[in-house]
Order: sequence, then C-alpha cells, then structure tokens
Amino acid sequence: MGKVKLKYFSRIRETIGKTSELVEIKSTNIQDLIEELQAMGEQYSVLKGRDFAIYSAVDQNIVTDVKTSIEGATEIAFFPPMTGG
Amino acid sequence: MLNKIIVAVQKSDFDLNSELETLKLKTEKAGAVVIFVGKVRDLDDDNLRYLEIESFEDLAKSQIKEICDDAANKWDLEFILVKHRFGRLKINDNIVLVITSSKHRKNAYEASAFIMEYLKSNVPFWKKEVADKTQKWVENS
Repeated sequence: MGKVKLKYFSRIRETIGKTSELVEIKSTNIQDLIEELQAMGEQYSVLKGRDFAIYSAVDQNIVTDVKTSIEGATEIAFFPPMTGG
Repeated sequence: MLNKIIVAVQKSDFDLNSELETLKLKTEKAGAVVIFVGKVRDLDDDNLRYLEIESFEDLAKSQIKEICDDAANKWDLEFILVKHRFGRLKINDNIVLVITSSKHRKNAYEASAFIMEYLKSNVPFWKKEVADKTQKWVENS
C-alpha cells in the first residue's frame, strides 16, 4: 500500500493520544487495517469497537462496510458514533 | 436543484437577523420561514461548565450539504441554511441553526425536522459535557 494519513476523533483520539499520524500500511481494507494497527500498541485496541461502534471515512467518504477497499487512499479517519445537532 | 443553500461549520456564533436578511435577498417567493436553533442546556444531575464540540470540518460540511440537497429534492423549498458550531460552548450558547423556507409552511416544517434528525447521527460532530463532577462524551439515545 504505502503511507496513509490516519486521523482520529473524539474518544478514539483521546485513547490513541494523537489527532493524526502518517503510517506505512500493508492492509487493503478497513478490517485488515484495524488488525494491523493493533501491532503498533495497546492503545489501538480501541478500534476493535468493544465499547462503542467504530466509524471510518476513506478520503472523506464515510464507509459502512469494513471490507471496503482502501487501496490508493491518502487519508483514513476513525471516529465513534456522531452526536451533532 | 435548489441553488439557494447555505452551509457552514464554524467556531463563531450566528446572528438570526442577518441570516433572515440573507434569506430575503435570496428569494421573494417564500411565505414561510421555519427557524430551529439548538443551544447548550444545563444537565439534570450536575452543573455543566462547558460543552466541547469536536468536528471533522470538511466532512461535516459535505455531509450537511448532502442532506440539504436531499431535502430540496423531497420538498418544494425556496431556501435552506444550516450553520453548525464547534469548539467550547457555555450554557445557552447557540449550537446549530437550521432555516428552511418555502411558499407555504408545511414543506418548511417537514424539511426542518428531516434535516435535524439527520444532523443528530450522520454528521461528524462529537459533544463532550464537562461538568463539576463528571465529564463524558454524549451518546445518542
């Protein structure tokens, strides 16, 4: 794959301890990427979604299927359920 | 496609009167204007110090624009404005403004409710309540 900018929001940002990072990844879909990130540290286990649902956006498009391809993506964001309004 | 749609994701407050003047400049065919304002409220069991609203700004703006386009396709509207704030807000501060306008009231009412329902759980904003005893991320009920 190559280098991708990962962005984190809200509770995920607090747990991982950063708003974004540039990471060299091998995965080609969201599900595999979450697995791959686990190896980077315990804090990434928040992405397993045990306590709340995990949403992601690939190049600013919200994806609902974790099997969605991330090949060629430059930015992937992870965030918890949205609470606007 | 309705071309009188205004969307903003911003830190600053909004001014109702100036937004209504904007509406009047955009259309003279509207006989009904529905205004919804969401604001910060105090908690039932604790004293809120402030509400921190985090946003994924660019995505939030495009998601709101998308729902405004949907509303314009579903109802015959003359004007839509949605402004959503982020940052640290105090009790009674404004959070969100939705203005929908149509020839007659029914379309504007229904479109306003539709947009707000969508905003609650489909646009990337997150609210954290920081109170005297606790601080917690708001979850949708």
